[in-house]
Amino acid sequence: MNQEALAAWFESGIVHNWMVELYWMFPLMETFHFVGLCVLFGSLLVVDGRVLGIGKFINMNEAMKFIPLAIGAFAINLLSGFSFLTADPNAYLGNIGFQWKIGLIAVAGINALWFWFGEHKELCQLADGADAPFRAKVIALLSVILWVIIIVLGRLIPYTDF
Amino acid sequence: MDQLLLAYENGAVGLFIRESIWGYPIVLASHAVGMATVLGVAWMLCLRVLGFAKGISITSLDKLFIVGWAGFLLNLISGIVLFAGSASVYFYQWTFQLKLGAIILGGILLKFVMNEVRANGSKQKLLAALCAFCWLVGVVTGRLMAYVTA
Repeated sequence: MNQEALAAWFESGIVHNWMVELYWMFPLMETFHFVGLCVLFGSLLVVDGRVLGIGKFINMNEAMKFIPLAIGAFAINLLSGFSFLTADPNAYLGNIGFQWKIGLIAVAGINALWFWFGEHKELCQLADGADAPFRAKVIALLSVILWVIIIVLGRLIPYTDF
Repeated sequence: MDQLLLAYENGAVGLFIRESIWGYPIVLASHAVGMATVLGVAWMLCLRVLGFAKGISITSLDKLFIVGWAGFLLNLISGIVLFAGSASVYFYQWTFQLKLGAIILGGILLKFVMNEVRANGSKQKLLAALCAFCWLVGVVTGRLMAYVTA
């Protein structure tokens, strides 16, 4: 599917009409997007902070409860992000900042899967105050760095429309 | 007051933020990262006090506060710089005034929450809910500053 067809698809739905016709929809969705990113990043800080050793005495098994919270926040941002796309798809699809953002979200997703399937079980046994394995620390550090870059790129989208 | 605001707006910081091509976007992006850090830490702490993930001892989250403070410092600096962009307008916007008030109150409440937790008081949850709400008002009004310019 080329960009034109994809853009036409985004514009064909009812959400596009809402976003364009109701003046409060865009700010409302933006607000959800901002709240969602704070919850997502905050949950990651608890999990990754524990793994990295910043909060060594955070119980690892309990910290895992923040993962569903992160997924929920991500879902809010996926939906609100989708609504921005329907409003003006061409402003996003051809935008280099947006393209990198989506690419890095995919990388962060793979990183999260690696964490879940590779490290999760072993980490749950981690005693309070104990050091996490080096591999897990690499994943946690990558996760924080990736999400910081994703937030930055998201904010830069209006300025990377070359 | 107006003179002071205009002097700041027309000074070096104001010129930089309005005229440098990448200055404004970079400072704006820093403000978003700082926001995610401060709100992230504050909300997760409030959630824990409200009863989420009870197996985590609240004092073990203390170290995350350092990260939260780093985010706050980043946003204090980036916020002061962004403010120079149109200080004389922002200052009189009710969204900006409410945002500032909510952040100050949210910060004070965070301290109260921790004091109450250490004293094992009965108002922990009430204070945590109020604190989380203040920070929510801070984000919402911050976003609305771009739309509600009155």
